[in-house]
Amino acid sequence: MTRYVLRRLAQNVLTFFIFLTAVYLLLDAQPGDYGNIWLSDPRLTPAQRQALRANLGLDKPVLERYGLWLRNIARGDFGISFSNYPKPVLDVIFERAPRTIVLFLTSTILAYYLGFLMGKILAWKRGGVVEYGTTVVGVSLYTVFLPWFALMMVWLFAYTLGLFPIGKFIDPLFWRRAPIDANTVFHRMLLTAFISTLLVFVLSNFTRRLNPRQRRPAFWGGFAVVVAAVIGYWASTGVAQYALDILRHLVLPIGTLAIVNFAGIMLLTRNSMLETQREDYIMTARAKGLPEKVVRDRHAARNALLPVATSFILAIAFVLDGGVITETIFSWPGMGLTLLEAALRQDIPMVIGALVFTGIMALTGHLLADILYAFLDPRIRYS
Amino acid sequence: MNNLSRRTPLCEAMTDGAGPGGITAALETPLWKVRLMLFWRGLKSNYNLFRQNPVGLIGLGIIVFFFLFMTAHPILMSTVWDPNVYNPVTGHDLTLAYHPSPPSATHLLGTDPLGRDVLSQLMWSTRAAFMLGIVTALITVIVATTVGSISAYFGGLVDAIFMRLADLIIMTPVITILIVISSLIDVQLIHLALVLGLLGGFGGTTIIIKSQALTIKVRAYIEAARVAGGNDAHIITHHIIPNLMPLSFLYMMFSVTNAIFSESVLSFFGLLNIRMSWGLMIYTTSYSGYLLDFQRWWLIFPASVSISLLCAAFYLVGRALDEVINPRLRKR
Amino acid sequence: MSDTILKVDDLTMHYTTRAGDVWAVDNVSFSLKKGEALGLVGESGCGKTSIATTLLRLLPENAVIKGGHIYLDGLELISLKEEEMRKVRWHRISMVFQAAMNALNPVHKVGDQILEAMENHRLVESNEAARQHIASLFRLVGLDPRLMQQYPHEFSGGMRQRAIIAMALSCNPDLIIADEPTTALDVIVQDKLLREMIELQNKLEMSMIYISHDIAVIAEVSDRMGVMYAGRLVELASTTEIFKHPLHPYTHGLMSAFPSIVGPKRKLTILPGEPPNLLHPPPGCRFHPRCPFATMICSEQTPEFRDLGDNHYVACWHPMEAGR
Repeated sequence: MTRYVLRRLAQNVLTFFIFLTAVYLLLDAQPGDYGNIWLSDPRLTPAQRQALRANLGLDKPVLERYGLWLRNIARGDFGISFSNYPKPVLDVIFERAPRTIVLFLTSTILAYYLGFLMGKILAWKRGGVVEYGTTVVGVSLYTVFLPWFALMMVWLFAYTLGLFPIGKFIDPLFWRRAPIDANTVFHRMLLTAFISTLLVFVLSNFTRRLNPRQRRPAFWGGFAVVVAAVIGYWASTGVAQYALDILRHLVLPIGTLAIVNFAGIMLLTRNSMLETQREDYIMTARAKGLPEKVVRDRHAARNALLPVATSFILAIAFVLDGGVITETIFSWPGMGLTLLEAALRQDIPMVIGALVFTGIMALTGHLLADILYAFLDPRIRYS
Repeated sequence: MNNLSRRTPLCEAMTDGAGPGGITAALETPLWKVRLMLFWRGLKSNYNLFRQNPVGLIGLGIIVFFFLFMTAHPILMSTVWDPNVYNPVTGHDLTLAYHPSPPSATHLLGTDPLGRDVLSQLMWSTRAAFMLGIVTALITVIVATTVGSISAYFGGLVDAIFMRLADLIIMTPVITILIVISSLIDVQLIHLALVLGLLGGFGGTTIIIKSQALTIKVRAYIEAARVAGGNDAHIITHHIIPNLMPLSFLYMMFSVTNAIFSESVLSFFGLLNIRMSWGLMIYTTSYSGYLLDFQRWWLIFPASVSISLLCAAFYLVGRALDEVINPRLRKR
Repeated sequence: MSDTILKVDDLTMHYTTRAGDVWAVDNVSFSLKKGEALGLVGESGCGKTSIATTLLRLLPENAVIKGGHIYLDGLELISLKEEEMRKVRWHRISMVFQAAMNALNPVHKVGDQILEAMENHRLVESNEAARQHIASLFRLVGLDPRLMQQYPHEFSGGMRQRAIIAMALSCNPDLIIADEPTTALDVIVQDKLLREMIELQNKLEMSMIYISHDIAVIAEVSDRMGVMYAGRLVELASTTEIFKHPLHPYTHGLMSAFPSIVGPKRKLTILPGEPPNLLHPPPGCRFHPRCPFATMICSEQTPEFRDLGDNHYVACWHPMEAGR
């Protein structure tokens, strides 16, 4: 298991290096450089221009510049963002990356959870209006033009029904007198979410080992304690209403991205379940007198999960692209919006920083998917 | 399995071709004629399977509709539509005081904020979508089939390099990268087709085609061809690639969906150098400030629905073909 | 009749397909005493496995039980509600599956899969007791109890089959159906396992139904045996009786197709032809197209399944006499 993870890690580091090189060369190969774009002020004399170019390192050959750039990146120096001057790129990333990570993680988990749930139910109820209807809905959601779908979500839930804000990360009017800034609240929210997820995970692993009759009460009791602790903590901080404001702004972007991704997972799960259904061990499970629901969930779905987990690797790019589109439509200031704005303003250091971040996201996602797969499939875990 | 569908008609053609003299008759006809006949038979039997799937037929219907939609535009322009008013890019209706105007008898889908006819734009943009889709799909499939069969056949280092490359491309958020590229340099439709085609061809499609090629490689007739003195190039071009064609064709459908979607997103952000496309129509709406004005639905719905429908159509045809090619997905 | 654990009366089941009905089980009747081992033998596709799945009512959706009754210790199974039938499965009738390779779920530990069956029938008071029970079962079938923490892919074919036997025993069922229990194994393991199964059966006084295409296997393990042909039971008697005096020509043919090492050397005859397509079974006696002794009546009327004395049942118009 450890060897498997280490090997994957090494592969990913190598891939990351290739990715960095590709990004650098891609942007370096653009026609013109900073010298043309940012130093076109006619008042500059050729000598000054030359000096500025030398200062930016543009007079050096490509390979040398690439070497310098790699060394700076290794030190965490991504340069200064032109469009957020004088903020360094890394500061912008640190501010906005957690938001995109939350968007990515939450919508992915939601999409996979719901898609898997619907897919397995769908496979068990073949034929009839339900199957046809859900397939049509699934295909439409899978191929819908995402910006349009996001717009319709905004129009319906924010514009017409007024349930959620139209866009942005926070409501500035509401935060004017806030004693605390939005990022601090957001970071605390992340920490809470992380710790409570961890606790529930430990709890479920612990209660599974108890005797059959004690399992359910122990788990739900523990779960209630965790929920109560979270509510208690936020009530005691006195900034709960600000956290709720951030949450309200989160719902639509996460929901949109989750719904669009959910469809593909549902269709895939259904196909995967249909194949698993014919396996011998499903017959064994039925012969054991297990209720259909247990046969479906513990035996068929557990095995059908394997190809679905593999598909996550293919979905990473899709979700990242979807994140850029969603963030733009909701003007939700995460890395996706930052990337688009930086690209439109020719803010090359920021573009590179955002691309590197995207690359790290993709590779981490890949690694996590590999590890998850090993956990799900004992045949990989023990070989 | 696709191999079977190509091979079985041969036996049929030889046995039930022309009664008792069928075999000799089949042997006397020139080889290209036999091949054509086989191809036709394979197509017919596959089409019969395809026809049983209503989902695929719906997809095909939508594609045919858009194709007719596209061909109707030049006819309309040269007969009933005045080019000065109905030109999708430069037209303007001076008789109406206010643009965007709602649908009327003269403008069935109304006009856009610049006074151009929406229906005309919609019809004209279909061509861009089809062209982009088909060029991208062709490049994807040609590259993927070549690379897939070569890396399956030779294996070793070639295989390892291509597969690592494919892994890398799979993880790349293509639209994000394209946003960056197109904001820095001037990107036209043909460039986009080339980039999408190459990324698709060296990416995920290769992996699938290669795994199929691996199963073909170990079949007996490949060994037979080698024993008969066929060299590597001959075996790849005459035996492996023809048997990969059904699968390649299937993945063409999915790459069309992909291409149309990518183009629309880039146009929607106003990043593509293109005269008119469905994505650009929404972009125009967006920068004129009508993006959330759903009362003026004709500004955003026709284009968005067209994108979604055509994407869905190619996807549905792909899914239906998948069931023809992979019998294990078929209902029994 | 109190010592009869299972009684099957005129059981008829068919599969509806697009091409028509497939008569997989046709008017099959037999009974089983407590502690007895019954063998069912026949060529593949003759409905042996269909009988097993019908007994547990584990049928695919297109299967229809057309008629007949199954009495398990007096309890009629065909008319039971699904929920009640679920309680019968494994607790009262369990099964040792064919194709041992896939009968265990690859993603769960072997011990957990056994535990699951016991928990399902509420036979687990505490985890510790259950673990001890499973450990004793493992020892009983000749497996190291520590193996229950492992996954099926770490087991060899023979070990998996033993684990499945342990699983079948876990709920102390009244009846165990073993469907081709040793087919996937190599001959030496097969032989060893069969011997152990006989020993276990005698020790625990289990009632068993063995199903196999291999008449040698059936001969080794069963007290009584039934011969199936094309969905029908054609002959049923004690194993020794059938081997001494096979009455049905098909049984005779089946036995001549296997070499015997003990008896005098004789010519092996192969039955000509193939078992009929159950979509369109031949009328009358289904064996008549392949039967060397067939007459007019064989193709017109179905022979009755009757007792020719000594509990030797046969369905044939011209039962063979010894020495013919």
